[in-house]
Amino acid sequence: MSGARDSGVARPVKSFTYRSVAGPGRETSRRSGKWRAVARNVGIPILSMALLVLTWEWIVVGFHIAPYIAPRPMQAYEAVRSDWVTLWPLVLATIRETIYGYSSGALLGVFLGVVMAKVQFLQRMVYPVLVLSQAVPIIALAAPLVLILGFSVVPIVIIVAWIVFFPVTVNVLDGLSHVDQDLLNLARVYGASRWRTFVQIEIPATTTPLFSGLKIGATYAVTGAIIGELVASNGSSLALYQEHANSNLNTPAVYGTTILMTIIGISWFLLVVGAEVLATPWQRRSVARRPWRRRREAALTTAQVEN
Amino acid sequence: MTDNVLLELRDVGKVFVETIALSPTNLAVKEGSFVAIVGPSGCGKSTLFNVIAGLLRPDSGEVRLADQPVTGATGHVGYMLQKDLLVPWRTVEDNITMAARLTRRVTADDRAEARRVAVQYGLGDFLRHYPSALSGGMRQRVAFMRTLVTHQQLLLLDEPFGALDAQTRLEMQQWLLQVWRDTGRTVLFITHDVDESIFLSDRILVMSPRPGRVVADLANPLPRPRDIATLTDPQFNELKSRIMGLLHGVAT
Repeated sequence: MSGARDSGVARPVKSFTYRSVAGPGRETSRRSGKWRAVARNVGIPILSMALLVLTWEWIVVGFHIAPYIAPRPMQAYEAVRSDWVTLWPLVLATIRETIYGYSSGALLGVFLGVVMAKVQFLQRMVYPVLVLSQAVPIIALAAPLVLILGFSVVPIVIIVAWIVFFPVTVNVLDGLSHVDQDLLNLARVYGASRWRTFVQIEIPATTTPLFSGLKIGATYAVTGAIIGELVASNGSSLALYQEHANSNLNTPAVYGTTILMTIIGISWFLLVVGAEVLATPWQRRSVARRPWRRRREAALTTAQVEN
Repeated sequence: MTDNVLLELRDVGKVFVETIALSPTNLAVKEGSFVAIVGPSGCGKSTLFNVIAGLLRPDSGEVRLADQPVTGATGHVGYMLQKDLLVPWRTVEDNITMAARLTRRVTADDRAEARRVAVQYGLGDFLRHYPSALSGGMRQRVAFMRTLVTHQQLLLLDEPFGALDAQTRLEMQQWLLQVWRDTGRTVLFITHDVDESIFLSDRILVMSPRPGRVVADLANPLPRPRDIATLTDPQFNELKSRIMGLLHGVAT
């Protein structure tokens, strides 16, 4: 690898052009570096989870814990596998509630953040109410919601949205109020309209805080859905299934459903992280991928220069 | 340089909470000239710039550009600060076309021009790079190209090389003179570096604080083109000691 880098530095330097910062040497070594990064970013988390499961196994076996108090990992897995036909639709339902609740919560969060950042008066008026909304215990909120809306998916979605919007709002508001004033002035000097400044400068400058909020929201979204199911679901849901298993002393099934819920939660979080990676290429790459429609023009310019 | 007056200030003054940031100032800048403004912090340099750029409305007086009143109006100058203000989410090419993107649709011509300018001034290999991959000097070049393609005749440069190391700064100064010669723009250049002001300009305004005002308006007799030898020219040193005297109150 170091050999490839050296060859990049040793290339003849054209006068008045820079070569050393990102020469061709890096390009050739990128591929192996990429796989190394994948191994580091994916392999190590998988290893740590495997260790966690192993520790669980050792504790249960080592301390001779009875299966109705704590099952072994394989027993929990078996409980889920044997009743998969029942569980799968419940998992889908929980995912659906999470999707609806999360997206409406995220949209509401962005909307409130933008509105409060733009209108000082509304910020003073609405912000305390938002903080208040988060101080209300979510369980205490669920009961009146069910009374008003009945046992259905609607109160569950509202509970998820209720949890998700807040970190999004706070982060968007924070991000929008910390956009570099000099950059905004520059846009003004250029004669930019407020709308274009908002779209071209303020929104992209808020991407990082926005995703912080979305990630925090993602970790809570599934928890919200389960709490909602516990209180508001009509008959069958993952949360009620677990409660039923618990009252039957079917501890392996209790552990199994907990793991299912955790997997949904982690997947949701990873999905948001993936969206962030796609939305912010400049944070990982030093060179942009070339959009296909510009390729021809660029080729023409290069040809002209080389002639 | 022509004899046409491009920028004219008539009795332009600005007061901030009982501090006279800029006492009424008259100034006429000829088209194609390079005017340097030197002075300590608090002398009203940046206030002057912000008034010309339209970011600040003066309390008195009038700003005229090409014989049109532009007091308090934006969108008529190029403007560049010590901070490069490149946006990290755009490539070099897209940063150069930023002014177009902020005011209208970016056309193929805009992009072609950005590429041409970048290639001409040594950044052709970095068009698709994000700013984070560039060095300080390169970033400042991109920021200047972005200012250039606004096609504004008047460029306001507020200590554009202030954050660079001495070596890079000298390189950038020579580069700026080359670009200025190629493009024939009118430059107002703020600096606190006396050497820099002499090396670059046709004319030097020396400013002083409390109240912020122009205390001297000096013609720069040094011939062009200028190079490293200019920095040790007797005329250079003579002008320098005069400006130093004005800045530090030493009699000359």
